[in-house]
Amino acid sequence: MAIDNRNPLPDLAARGRPAGGADEVLRLDDLHVSVHDGAATAVRGVSLVVRAGEIVGLVGESGSGKTLTCRAALGVLPAGCAVERGSVSFAGLDVTSLSRRDWERLHGDHLGAVFQDPASYLNPVLTVGGQLTEVLRVKLGLGRRAAHRRAVDLFEAVGLRQPGRVFHQIPAELSGGMLQRVMIAIAISCGPQLLVADEPTTALDVTIQAEVLELLQRLRDERGLAVLFVSHDLAVITELCDRIVVFYAGEIVESGSAEEITRRPRHPYTQALLRVASVGDFRRRELEVIAGQPPRVGEDITGCRFAARCPVAVPQCWAGPVRSVPVGDEHQVRCVHALRAVVTS
Amino acid sequence: MTAAPAGAPPLLAVESVDVTLGRGWRANQVLSGVDLDVWPGEIVGLVGETGSGKTTLARTVVGLVTPRQGRILLDGLPISALRRRARRAERRGGHVQLVFQDPLRSLDPDLTVAEIVAEGLTIRGEADRGQIRRRVTAALDRVGLDATVLERTPGQISGGQRQRVSIARALAVEPQLLICDEPVSALDASSRNYVLRLLDELRTSLGLAIVIISHDLSSLAGIADRIVVLYRGRIVEDGPVERVFATPRHPYTALLMASGPSIGHDRPFSPQQLRRAEPNSPGPAQLAGPGACVFAARCPFAGEVCATQPALTTIGERWSVACHRSDQWEALAQSATHQEGPAHAR
Repeated sequence: MAIDNRNPLPDLAARGRPAGGADEVLRLDDLHVSVHDGAATAVRGVSLVVRAGEIVGLVGESGSGKTLTCRAALGVLPAGCAVERGSVSFAGLDVTSLSRRDWERLHGDHLGAVFQDPASYLNPVLTVGGQLTEVLRVKLGLGRRAAHRRAVDLFEAVGLRQPGRVFHQIPAELSGGMLQRVMIAIAISCGPQLLVADEPTTALDVTIQAEVLELLQRLRDERGLAVLFVSHDLAVITELCDRIVVFYAGEIVESGSAEEITRRPRHPYTQALLRVASVGDFRRRELEVIAGQPPRVGEDITGCRFAARCPVAVPQCWAGPVRSVPVGDEHQVRCVHALRAVVTS
Repeated sequence: MTAAPAGAPPLLAVESVDVTLGRGWRANQVLSGVDLDVWPGEIVGLVGETGSGKTTLARTVVGLVTPRQGRILLDGLPISALRRRARRAERRGGHVQLVFQDPLRSLDPDLTVAEIVAEGLTIRGEADRGQIRRRVTAALDRVGLDATVLERTPGQISGGQRQRVSIARALAVEPQLLICDEPVSALDASSRNYVLRLLDELRTSLGLAIVIISHDLSSLAGIADRIVVLYRGRIVEDGPVERVFATPRHPYTALLMASGPSIGHDRPFSPQQLRRAEPNSPGPAQLAGPGACVFAARCPFAGEVCATQPALTTIGERWSVACHRSDQWEALAQSATHQEGPAHAR
């Protein structure tokens, strides 16, 4: 095969296991994202790792920075937003300052994405099959018939009934759940290592949502796909994810295995989120609320950003920046109380 | 919880309503034989998936859609039969108010909160400005908003506050019945609970009847008295919330409950147990026929008897279900599990 020397991107697939640890697919290091042309910082020092065959869930209120974080990981920050500090590495390769062209090479082959409203990402006048084969022909260089065959297989793999028929339908003829499956088929069509899913089930019915979540788990198990999943619904996140990362006002306040976070939450904000979440038991219960409002985006606060709403805040919370400390196996918490517990034990 | 006094007439009575949208070859029957009673001080949760007719039912009750058959009575008055001037007068009276899902789209972005909340009063013909002002402040106070929001526009307040403004708008005209179409699905968990708690408090303090359309069953568990499940335009189950959620009698209700995401995994059934194993396989031809049970094509427990649509049958106190096999499917689901092992993926 001829070597394209204009391509500064090493062939990621051929590099084998990267140096950054076993199966590491995505690594964010001290990521800061500025908004409004640098006027404010909306994501402050986010560090996280996603490994192959793992589903990592980002959860938090609207405006907590979870969507900006995953957009930075995809290299598709909206206008006026920029990575201010920190780095994004993909399979061990620093991609923070990649050019637009190089990002495009990464998309599809290595990175796939699905968003909340599938209909707005598809061309309404072309068949969904045609839109998938276009990707296959451009990205993988498949011929017309091979692309058609592959497309039907992919539609079947994402659980679309009658894939041969769906191939010839336009988006308006399909339901929201079917469109989201089509988007997932397009996202995984070139065999990416990472799928970024930003609120992909928020607009779907619960019955369909359950089916799409099962599909993502199946893709993880069968293809070793790594998934970065964003939702404001903690119940969806715990149902699906292996690890949970809790965002508050642009920072990670707690991260750990789904089991740890739901059974032994250490941060007062995580505890509050668990109390207000739709817990999925169908008994009559008190509907709790978290008092107060989150700080405005970019607001400068010395110390803990949750302190003003925190039921157990002490003067120390405002004294200075609060470090994130390990409190268990892969379990990190950014809270002065957790810090004290670690020091005394 | 406010139980309706036995024998008292319902505030809202929907009587065997059929609704067809579109005409000619486009005609689409959206509601079939829907019966629904709502008493004052009661919260009814209306659930079902996209296209089940929840929103059409709400629009029919407020008179935006005319039923092809059946009638709607409000406090004994057949409002669906009113025409022209009488209907306009009834609507301007504001006895029934709708609250929509997305307040950013349903509230005029150019009006201030004060103007939005006052609109219903102005339309009704109230002229005294001081009186309007007092009513607006009182309505906002009821939903926990103070005078600082009066001069802001919907774009300048948070999502939770916006939904409270649209509830205040509805309350200003002192309605008897509030219909909320997915009032909380655009909100995060904390604001959602705030709004639901607010609705719960309003029915106690004002004796309002409230219908909440929602796809989130578990948040309805917190406040609703009754659950009504719609599937393809038919009510398939209607009963007291504790009873229905403890032992759903229709397989579709059970599927909705099993599909909702949960933090603890302590469900009697997994969604897989309640779905057809091989959705491609066409069932017996009569199950796809026009007279068959609406849910039969998706129901793993459908048998020959399901070739006819079951009627909504009373099975307990104020509890009815439309399923031929309402007392058999649970055993079928359990025996299927024993053959295949635990079906839940986790």
